[in-house]
Amino acid sequence: MAGQEDPVQREIHQDWANREYIEVITSSIKKIADFLNSFDMSCRSRLATLNEKLTALERRIEYIEARVSMSGKVLPHEARQGLCRENARFHVLLKQTWKR
Amino acid sequence: MPLVKRNIDPRHLCHTALPRGIKNELECVTNISLANIIRQLSSLSKYAEDIFGELFNEAHSFSFRVNSLQERVDRLSVSVTQLDPKEEELSLQDITMRKAFRSSTIQDQQLFDRKTLPIPLQETYDVCEQPPPLNILTPYRDDGKEGLKFYTNPSYFFDLWKEKMLQDTEDKRKEKRKQKKNLDRPHEPEKVPRAPHDRRREWQKLAQGPELAEDDANLLHKHIEVANGPASHFETRPQTYVDHMDGSYSLSALPFSQMSELLTRAEERVLVRPHEPPPPPPMHGVGDAKPIPTCISSATGLIENRPQSPATGRTPVFVSPTPPPPPPPLPSALSTSSLRASMTSTPPPPVPPPPPPPTTALQAPAVPPPPAPLQIAPGVLHPAPPPIAPPLVQPSPPVARAAPVCETVPVHPLPQGEVQGLPPPPPPPPLPPPGIRPSSPVTVAALTHPPSGLHPAPSTAPGPHVPLMPPSPPSQVIPASEPKRHPSTLPVISDARSVLLEAIRKGIQLRKVEEQREQEAKHERIENDVATILSRRIAVEYSDSEDDSEFDEVDWLE
Repeated sequence: MAGQEDPVQREIHQDWANREYIEVITSSIKKIADFLNSFDMSCRSRLATLNEKLTALERRIEYIEARVSMSGKVLPHEARQGLCRENARFHVLLKQTWKR
Repeated sequence: MPLVKRNIDPRHLCHTALPRGIKNELECVTNISLANIIRQLSSLSKYAEDIFGELFNEAHSFSFRVNSLQERVDRLSVSVTQLDPKEEELSLQDITMRKAFRSSTIQDQQLFDRKTLPIPLQETYDVCEQPPPLNILTPYRDDGKEGLKFYTNPSYFFDLWKEKMLQDTEDKRKEKRKQKKNLDRPHEPEKVPRAPHDRRREWQKLAQGPELAEDDANLLHKHIEVANGPASHFETRPQTYVDHMDGSYSLSALPFSQMSELLTRAEERVLVRPHEPPPPPPMHGVGDAKPIPTCISSATGLIENRPQSPATGRTPVFVSPTPPPPPPPLPSALSTSSLRASMTSTPPPPVPPPPPPPTTALQAPAVPPPPAPLQIAPGVLHPAPPPIAPPLVQPSPPVARAAPVCETVPVHPLPQGEVQGLPPPPPPPPLPPPGIRPSSPVTVAALTHPPSGLHPAPSTAPGPHVPLMPPSPPSQVIPASEPKRHPSTLPVISDARSVLLEAIRKGIQLRKVEEQREQEAKHERIENDVATILSRRIAVEYSDSEDDSEFDEVDWLE
């Protein structure tokens, strides 16, 4: 009996060890997958906010370009103010994005 | 429920059948599991690479945009600093003259199109079973549609929505045009007939002042203001006329003199109408202005059939203004329908685009026969009340009102034929097949009576009407029965007016074709950029503003 148990027990022990090993590997695979999903989602959300800000900036700059070019010299003072504001926002945006 | 985007391939590690003839099964299972783990890692790495690729592409596009924005900001700052010294020059003019600022915002459209499908989902889609290959039957179809469209059509709802949007925009544009025309019309026609009518109106008033008022009150159902109260011995005469009208429903029964007087009175009434300040319902005024000239023309046409003495003298005057305004296309469109009768009373209204007429034509087929006709006297005036814009259904009830006043079955073909040949009725071409007009034999029989009455008075009809007179009686049935042919029969009349009318009609028809071609071209152009154009059309619908032209320009730009 003892002779029979040893090889079987050894096998069973070995099997349990193997299963634990496999379990560790699969759980880490799941963690990697989970990390990838969350990374994907967070990246997409940040890129979306960045996109929003970029489009807002683009629209404002378009408007200012129109004001500066079409209206000629009307209110260059205002145009400059607007431009300065846009410039500041733009640089802030750049800093924010590249920080992360 | 979230849609699984990426599926790691070996779903189960050890749900496989073990091969036979293995002693150590546990080891076997372990090895199989480890092998599957490696496969899972490989698919995981593939999806990870895909994820990072998508994110990288998005960020890359953003970097381009940021760089371009940076350049624009720099350029603007430079230009702004340069602008400082040159102060405002022609600022006011520039502000008003320059084109309004239009931001080129690109709206997100077609988000879930086949092209925007991400790669992993595309791979999942490819793994799925294909639909049956029904497209191999497409070359054998008659209607040219794809065979697979009947089984599964992913663009079905989009096409439906697109068609609905296009239709709605077209309807709205037509409504706006109608409103514009309604607003415009009351002014135009009022000017034209006023000048020539004044003298006659004065004369008539002097001659039959109280009678006019009496007739107005009776025949026009008290719509028209009674100029003078009923009075004098003249009352009896109009009374008898009215009674005749109400009772017999047959103008032919009236003596020639009475008929002529009726006609004259009808014309007078018609003349009076435009002078009235647009009655409370502006529509009436509008309807009066335009239908009056045409009514007069119809009256003149009728006059040709019947005795007419003084009326004919006036007809040439009235006929002249009629050709330009009347909408020939409508008569041509309606010629095919049995609505001609109602049409005769409302030729000017034809303004309403063809769609309303056909619908009204369907609705009013029952009404036409009686009212249609003539009703020179009352009929002439009744078309006035019905507004121009509204469909013919409205005219039909007022015409129906006129019907009780005077009706003549034999008269039917006459007015119809006359209206179609707006200036004088076309000379009698060979009799059309009897099937076209079931009433034609009746009319032919009935016409024998009017011709007898007509002959005594042909001499009185001056100008173009005279030549038409003799041939007219027998031919009256023909023009009525061949309304479809009327555009082709018109040239037979060697009148300048008929030629002009034809030219007008052709022009309008040509315009229609051009419009259709433009629309088709637009449709072709539209297909590529549908969503934006459609969304803009929605804006047109809901804004109810007249930005159509602007939107068209934008479409061109896009």
